[in-house]
Amino acid sequence: MLNRLIGMIERHAGSMAEELKEKLVNDPTTSSYKSLDERTIYDNIFEVYSRLGHWLLKDSEKGEVRTHYSNIGAQRFEQGFPLDELIQALVVTKRHIWDTVLHRGIMTTAKELDSAIDFITYLNRFFDMAIYYTTLGYYDMLVIQNKD
Amino acid sequence: MLTKKIVNLIEGNALRLSQEIQQRLLTHPSTLSYRNIDQKVLHNWIYDVCSRFSFWLSEGKKRGEVQKHYRNLGRERFKQKFALPEVISALYLTKRHLWEFVAAGREVDSTLNLNQIVEASFLLVRFFDHAVLHVTEGYEEMLKKAYEYEAPLSQPKLLAEAIAAKQKREEMIHEEPKLPDICFRMGMARLG
Repeated sequence: MLNRLIGMIERHAGSMAEELKEKLVNDPTTSSYKSLDERTIYDNIFEVYSRLGHWLLKDSEKGEVRTHYSNIGAQRFEQGFPLDELIQALVVTKRHIWDTVLHRGIMTTAKELDSAIDFITYLNRFFDMAIYYTTLGYYDMLVIQNKD
Repeated sequence: MLTKKIVNLIEGNALRLSQEIQQRLLTHPSTLSYRNIDQKVLHNWIYDVCSRFSFWLSEGKKRGEVQKHYRNLGRERFKQKFALPEVISALYLTKRHLWEFVAAGREVDSTLNLNQIVEASFLLVRFFDHAVLHVTEGYEEMLKKAYEYEAPLSQPKLLAEAIAAKQKREEMIHEEPKLPDICFRMGMARLG
């Protein structure tokens, strides 16, 4: 059942990535994303959605999350992004996944609801780590810059 | 409200939960600076979240309270020389502890409706999303004051320049590639 929810996101990764990309470039709370190439935004989102099972379940030590999101944090610092916009974008991504599950996933039986609770746990653990490591990568660059 | 039972459960166990969360912050490698602040103050901060859980989760005008409270916290932690990732990690550890407590309810309390747990998770996650965001805003405000650091793209003029540069890049990508004239002179057909 948990795999069914994850599979649903992975199958719709292309259309969902397109939808979220539009949301990010048009939302005034993430306006810096307008300066990024649209292909880059799409690819970054698609990378999460199309391999959601990997991010949520297989990277149990969260080693890949650490490397990937620290790099994104450092890179966005170099590009001049405000940190709160990066956090907001990740929060919006998480909500987009959850809204899709609520919208498309039928959760009425006890078994389905039980899986939804597991899904929420894994989803939040992943995004908490993603936001934490993005902040860490960004913050490290900020400290280095202020030392110079 | 569906989640009232869960909110009452957290508020009723506020003292025990805040002691456990405090212990978690003091021992977790990502939040070691919390050992350096007044433990009574730290306890009161966590206890305030747990004991007034219904207040913090509620909608509407109280959203402004969350913003004010957590922006202040961001400013305060900056003055206390905390690294921002530590502050964020502390909020996530708090959320995780409360979520584990709520989610465990499905095993120990059969009267706890699964729908209630799903709904409670939504409110819990939303509250901590706002808290993290506003702490960051408060911290960024202090960075601007103390170091005159402001992210370039938060300045409208620089953002407009960056967007114009992107548009130019994208126009160049979409331009049809031009073959050198010599290809046509030699009678080569242009494909596509």
